[in-house]
Amino acid sequence: MVNMTTEAAVISTKGLNLYYGDNHALQDINISFERNRVTALIGPSGCGKSTLIRCFNRMNDLVDNVRVQGQILFDGEDIASPRTDVVEIRKRIGMVFQKPNPFPKSVYENVAYGPRVHGIKDKKILDQIVEKSLKDAALWDEVKDRLHASALGLSGGQQQRLCIARTLAVEPEVILMDEPCSSLDPIATTKIEDLIEELKKRYTVIIVTHNMQQAARSSDYTGFMYLGKLIEFGETCQIFEAPGERLTENYVTGRFG
Amino acid sequence: MHNWNESLIRGLWFFTASFAVLSVFFIIFFLLKDAVPLFQTVSVQDFIFGNTWNPTGATPSYGVFPLIVDTLLVTLGAMVIAVPLGLGSAVYLSELAPSKVKAVAKPAIELLAGIPSVVYGFFGLIVLTDWLRVAFDVPSGESWLAGSILLGVMALPTIISVSEDALNMVPQMFREGSLALGSTHWQTISRVLIPSALSGITAAVILGMGRVIGETMAVIMVCGNAAIIPEPITNVLSPVRTLTGTLGIEMGEVAVGSLHYSALFAVAVVLLVITLIVNLSAVWILKHIRSKQSAEVPKRHFISPNNEWFWPAVRAVLAVLIVLAVFFLFPPLPAAVLMVFLAALIYAKDRISPNISQKIAFVLLRGAIAVVLCVLGIILLYIIVNGLPALSWEFLTQPPRDLGRAGGIFPAIVGTLYLVAGAISFALPIGIGAAIYLSEYTRGSSRITGIIRTGIDLLNGMPSIVFGLFGFAFLVIFLNFGVSLLAGMITLGLMVLPTIIRTTEESLKSVPTSVREGSLALGSTKWQTIRRVVLPPALPGILTGTILSIGRAAGETAPILFTAAVFSKRFLPTSVYEPVMALPYHLFILATNVPGATKNQYGTALVLLILVVAIYAVAIWIRNRYQKNVRW
Repeated sequence: MVNMTTEAAVISTKGLNLYYGDNHALQDINISFERNRVTALIGPSGCGKSTLIRCFNRMNDLVDNVRVQGQILFDGEDIASPRTDVVEIRKRIGMVFQKPNPFPKSVYENVAYGPRVHGIKDKKILDQIVEKSLKDAALWDEVKDRLHASALGLSGGQQQRLCIARTLAVEPEVILMDEPCSSLDPIATTKIEDLIEELKKRYTVIIVTHNMQQAARSSDYTGFMYLGKLIEFGETCQIFEAPGERLTENYVTGRFG
Repeated sequence: MHNWNESLIRGLWFFTASFAVLSVFFIIFFLLKDAVPLFQTVSVQDFIFGNTWNPTGATPSYGVFPLIVDTLLVTLGAMVIAVPLGLGSAVYLSELAPSKVKAVAKPAIELLAGIPSVVYGFFGLIVLTDWLRVAFDVPSGESWLAGSILLGVMALPTIISVSEDALNMVPQMFREGSLALGSTHWQTISRVLIPSALSGITAAVILGMGRVIGETMAVIMVCGNAAIIPEPITNVLSPVRTLTGTLGIEMGEVAVGSLHYSALFAVAVVLLVITLIVNLSAVWILKHIRSKQSAEVPKRHFISPNNEWFWPAVRAVLAVLIVLAVFFLFPPLPAAVLMVFLAALIYAKDRISPNISQKIAFVLLRGAIAVVLCVLGIILLYIIVNGLPALSWEFLTQPPRDLGRAGGIFPAIVGTLYLVAGAISFALPIGIGAAIYLSEYTRGSSRITGIIRTGIDLLNGMPSIVFGLFGFAFLVIFLNFGVSLLAGMITLGLMVLPTIIRTTEESLKSVPTSVREGSLALGSTKWQTIRRVVLPPALPGILTGTILSIGRAAGETAPILFTAAVFSKRFLPTSVYEPVMALPYHLFILATNVPGATKNQYGTALVLLILVVAIYAVAIWIRNRYQKNVRW
């Protein structure tokens, strides 16, 4: 396992364990995510990769019977602690979900939602934020003429980019992506991958995927997880071309999955 | 040969399904038939807008306008009470309640729905009106306010359960999406969840309204029944008389075929029209959300809200209306205080931090559920504490003596059981048959299915007193059954028919199509598939619906008021053509017409309450048990 210096890390975990009731879903995870890099987490279904990133914005709080042990350091602060202000954390660590989940509101209202709940009321400022976020999410040209139509009328790929725009509008430092392309067609997937490439200039991106080509194409670092354990972590080309673990090699070469 | 069988069975189910539609037409036809003679003497205009309802005066007048106004006022008042409490409780149950609290509070609120309206009315008459009399220092507490409070409480269970369902239907991904953007739980609730569930919540409110408008017994017992428009219109302590109340009071004493008799049927038609509008709009809204939530097409608005001026304009108009209404409704000083309070609220709303507004909101939500549960507790406790001393072996097994002041209620218990047994054995086969037809033999929306469904919706929305009137006009008079067990059974059966159809259809639909396909692919016929594969897993659901119907039939008073019930009958009926005593009717008469029967009133109320609540509890238990066990 590669040990990174933690100074460059935005998020790092120390001895992170998570239990769903009796199920030990994450086992002693130690991992660091570097600033302005894309890190991919790969592994077969049920390996814990989604559970892991849902620890970072405390989305697991919504699930009953979850127990977390260990530390998650975000800018030096332990965000796994019960004293953490989860709302504040979620402002700074945004998330894009597996299935596009725009609210049943207009395109405009979807993007303006975050800034609004954080207290921005000035219509002009909101307009600017909406336009900029939609442009950054490469969606502006497609929706600028129907900003006030329902977001549910967009295609799946457009909806997912809208969700990314919605996340960008809050100006987070980290963006978590939980299999953002798994419900999209190949063309929409390409657009999202191009977008991720753009995003890493300004954001730290952590992406969960079960698509190895996607991980290989768009990430700088890759972690391979299996049965709740982080098996191997390193630069993406190393993981795919010279994996250090037998299990990783079997997975990336498609022998199981 | 085989095909013959199948078509025969299909035909049978179609016949049962048509029955619901036919009975709607029958009801409407008989109401109109008896209402029409009035309009040969009184013009429609005088009837609707006439200011005096005095059909028994020296010069009778049939102006129904005060009754309509009173009905609307009582409904409005009930909604003012029920909507905030109901919505608050629904949001609390769906979003905040720890699972343990939810496990207790949800069934408790469903039980609240099971309490017979005559028991509510009894509580209102004995306790609530007395409180109001003392609190406001007025000669009588029987008033608009008493009616609105009581009806508001009665509408709560409907509003709570339907809006909680609507909130639960909002996909979890909206919740996660909003929280992931760093909004607080309350911001998520108020800005994403409630707007997404808005149509369901609207439907809940309208359904609750339907219940309020159609309620008879509780209204008669607490509203004071003076056919006047409150003076001034904001005088909530004025006695009022609703459309339903008028029917309940006067129908029993009117000469069949007289002008007054016709006028009462005309009142029923007005009532029917109002409830149909209310209920059909709820049905329409519910259908609308289902199609909206699945469809991916952009929604079309009548007025496109992207107009910059549209929403601000709407808001401004609303604000002006509210200010005007407040100053119109209240004396100047309280109105000014209220306005300052509202202004402070609006000013504070955007300036306090999200965390603090969340705290305030959650306190209010908890307060709402606490009030609801307290009301339930008070009503139950009051009746139990006062009723227990009256219960004795003699009370349960002896006929009443001295106009019910002494003796027991044995014939009333038996009469209620007879009525319920008859109603269910009439409604169950028809209801299940209709549900099987609708769920298994129709695909999507043919015109006939549409008509049948609308018929069932209409039947479901009819006030129970309308069934009573129909039973009287058709069964008692036209078919010459007389006031009899038979007429009561059929009337009650018709009333519970839609409940049975709906719950059965829902449980049949919850059986997945793949199971049917599996059976059909093995070469079994449609009916074999239904009988051996579809019906068995749907049975608990059907049973639940049946038991709920039994509870409802046992507690209802209005439908048997003129069709089956008599106050005093020492002996049990020996044939279905004899009238019977019934618990709810007995309680109603004891409470309103017999002075000095206090002890037996409480006893009767308690027995009725135990009977109905026990029936509901069994239904809720069965449903919860099987909901947990069956997973497709």
